[in-house]
Amino acid sequence: MKRTVPLMIVMVGGILMILQYFIPHQISQTIFAYYTDWTPIILAFALVLGVGSLTRIHSHKIRRKSKNWQYSWAVLIPLYLMPVLAHIWPGSLSGGMDSPSIFHFIFMHVQVPIQATMFSLLAFYIASAAFRAFRAKSALATVLLLSAIIVMLGQVPIGELLGKWFPQTGLWILRYPNLAAKRAIMLGVGFGMLATNLKIIFGVERNWLGGAGK
Amino acid sequence: MSAVNIWEKMLNIDRRWIFLGIAVVSIVPFFINFGMPVVTTTEVEDIFYYMDDLGPDNAIFVSFDFAPGTQAENMPMAVAVMRHAFHNNVPVFMTANWPLHHGMMLAAMEYVFNPSTVGFYQEVPFDDWRELREADVTAKGELVEAWENQGNQLSEGALGWVFEGRDYAAMGYAPVFNLVILGMTVSIETQYPVDAHGNSTGEMPMLQEHKSLREVDMALTSSGSGACVWWVTYAREKIGLPIAFGLTAVMATDYYPYLQAGQVIGQMGGLRGAAEYEVLLAENGITPSTDKAFTGMDVQSAAHIFIILLIIMGNLAFFAGGFHKKTLLKGGR
Amino acid sequence: MRKNWIGIPALMILLLLPSLSVAQGVDEILTPVAGEQLEEPDPGLDVPGIVTVLDKDNDAGDQLVVSFEPPENTAGVFAYNVYRRVAGAEGEDSWTLAEIIPVIEPTEFIDGFDPEFPIEPGVLYEYRIASATLDGEEFFGPVFEAGAVSVGEIYHTGKTRILIASLLFILLIFYYFGRAQRGIKMYMRPIAGIEAIDEAIGRATEMGKPILYVPGISSIADVATIASLTILGRVAKKIALYQTPLIVPNRDPIVFTVAEEVVKQAYLEAGRPDAYDPDSVFFLTTSQFAYVAGVNGMMMREKPATNFYLGMFYAESLLLAETGSLSGAIQIAGTDAVTQLPFFITTCDYTLIGEELYAASAYLGREPKQIGALKGQDACKGIIMGFITLALIFGIIDVVANTHILDWLRALVTSPIIE
Repeated sequence: MKRTVPLMIVMVGGILMILQYFIPHQISQTIFAYYTDWTPIILAFALVLGVGSLTRIHSHKIRRKSKNWQYSWAVLIPLYLMPVLAHIWPGSLSGGMDSPSIFHFIFMHVQVPIQATMFSLLAFYIASAAFRAFRAKSALATVLLLSAIIVMLGQVPIGELLGKWFPQTGLWILRYPNLAAKRAIMLGVGFGMLATNLKIIFGVERNWLGGAGK
Repeated sequence: MSAVNIWEKMLNIDRRWIFLGIAVVSIVPFFINFGMPVVTTTEVEDIFYYMDDLGPDNAIFVSFDFAPGTQAENMPMAVAVMRHAFHNNVPVFMTANWPLHHGMMLAAMEYVFNPSTVGFYQEVPFDDWRELREADVTAKGELVEAWENQGNQLSEGALGWVFEGRDYAAMGYAPVFNLVILGMTVSIETQYPVDAHGNSTGEMPMLQEHKSLREVDMALTSSGSGACVWWVTYAREKIGLPIAFGLTAVMATDYYPYLQAGQVIGQMGGLRGAAEYEVLLAENGITPSTDKAFTGMDVQSAAHIFIILLIIMGNLAFFAGGFHKKTLLKGGR
Repeated sequence: MRKNWIGIPALMILLLLPSLSVAQGVDEILTPVAGEQLEEPDPGLDVPGIVTVLDKDNDAGDQLVVSFEPPENTAGVFAYNVYRRVAGAEGEDSWTLAEIIPVIEPTEFIDGFDPEFPIEPGVLYEYRIASATLDGEEFFGPVFEAGAVSVGEIYHTGKTRILIASLLFILLIFYYFGRAQRGIKMYMRPIAGIEAIDEAIGRATEMGKPILYVPGISSIADVATIASLTILGRVAKKIALYQTPLIVPNRDPIVFTVAEEVVKQAYLEAGRPDAYDPDSVFFLTTSQFAYVAGVNGMMMREKPATNFYLGMFYAESLLLAETGSLSGAIQIAGTDAVTQLPFFITTCDYTLIGEELYAASAYLGREPKQIGALKGQDACKGIIMGFITLALIFGIIDVVANTHILDWLRALVTSPIIE
């Protein structure tokens, strides 16, 4: 029963959603709107579960004084402090989200730089990965390597200064060979999605309900 | 020390040296401004000229679909299109598909309206021009005249007035944004009864003139994630809203199929795309000068050259050291 | 179990019945009637002539196609203001402005897009159109009763080609489901990444170190996430047998709840519910780069022996995989995010490319229906490849012989998607 009811909901919902695509009638639109209205509600409840999970794990760590338990405070305090500052803290004491407020200050001067730093690590990692892994080991790898160099030079002004054909060839690679390869993978992915969806709708694939089935 | 050992040492170089090299080539060009020319491509020109044809009767969406992480690439795109729209008096709706992206929207407004920005626009908050609105003075030309007659004067260096509710509406974040786009194809107001500042959107002249996405002429999604496709799926395919992509460089290659299929009018790829738009703005006298993306292109040039040198060095060491004959060094490690 | 399946079609029929009955009730198109003239046209400006109103096809019964004859003399006319009201309503207040059409634009439009004044299905409306000057002065034409009411259709005729293609592909997949169930042997190309999964779990067990499983950072609506969760189920079952610690950090709260259930169930099925650690699956944060920081921190502190990155990834892919490589873990990645593949390929030991991720569940389970689905996918791809080859040949013929066969093929298989 525990698994049959969810499977039935998925099957009915899945088939109805396929049918509604072909039915423009108002009843079909109403059913669609009804289903989509549920999404934010489910999401809101799931978020409560998520925050609950995070709180539970970190309070366990603090209580048990597990390894690195001090960091758990760094998770829990901002987790609850930021919503309080945004929504509960009085506006007269710099509450709220609009500038100037404490929330806005922390967002702009803590969160923004930290996130930008994380993303910037990409530049460093790309350089190190390119050095270690980009080898002309075979004919195909050599083609890949050369096209990478042309596209990289074509993307920056210095490539234009080195030779007009750099940006032109770079764009040609992006517009044609790249496009063809993307499209091939996208088609494969599309059919993969179709088959996975069918497997889920018709209950062939049940692992997402928990465990390996059977 | 034998020759082979040098190559081996080179291949096993501590990656922190590479990190240091990247840091140097990223920082130095900021101080030595080369100002290398950026040539524009059709992908960006298509957006620019489409935007340039719009006027006060049209409206656009600028969707902030990026987090602080990718703001170096995504922010200049959104800012460039906002400034282009303000120059042509095109009303701009600003949305965000995630709470963090909401902060990016506020940051973009702060930049465009900040007097320290070269070529800024002077903002008039919604409440400040209530009287004029209630007197039914809402057409841009009339509004500016009436506003200046009330004794308000444009600051030095400002390119013009922008009235909240007339020239822009900061709609901000709404949960489950793909469904919000879908809902906006019917009515914008039902999805956003109030804007990010708590103003009633129903009272905004730009919303009264553009009630749904069907009455909007373009949406730019400046995106650091796959969310840009939502605009194609839910707005372009459903009601034919023209979409323009502003993507990070990593993502740009992924979205060429949409461009070729005509599902988007153009795309700005990474800092380069943003720099091209800035060049077009400056060349056409819409902004007094190019902005941050253009400056960043020098850094990108240096970094690309450095990475290419690394690849060449890596290959040189690999082949000169004879490692291609051995299975000693497995890829990735 | 079998009994419950009967309930599904019954439930569907129940839900669809109202739509059929409503559709039959209002499926009656009125013939256009000549408008009755209620007032004399103002002599100031020439006014538009006969207004024709037709039901729009393929809508939900909330749109009408309105067209009108423009005045013979358009001098002084700036725009046409189209007003609508429910037939029989009285008073000037009952009119609502449905559309303003600039004089240079076509005099046909679709009414019903204004969210404030929607068109109700089955309601009869009246229209009147005014010629407006630049100053906004209006000169009204006669009132016309609409010749039709709006009716919602039960089938979108513009989507027939999509329906045929969908049915064809679905039937093909079902055909191979059937073949597989009848026990017909089917060949599956070996995929190194999938075969390495067991080895990677074994390695972690030998080293006594945890296994990190990242189910991507997208939502449950993403098929890649669902594929990842099905693999997680199978991986967790093996891990449960070996009693190796498992770490599953999540970025999406709904994915977290499902992942938790998947792992719990896997431990139960492996007969080791006692070994399940409720802290092994947890929600981290919805913020992309904060999530990366959190997971990277775990990699550097806990030093997992094996990292799985399966699902949907964006810019964080290289940040995760490079840190994992730095920590010395064996890494298996799989994603359908094409742009992230190069990053995974350069930094991971094995990478599942695109649809290989979806296939992994079939490879690991070896259940006949799963394998059938894979074969069905291949057959669908075969059809598409056939069309691409045809298009290529026709394209060449068009260039050489100056014909237009490619356009014919394109018109045959594609349809405009915009409603």
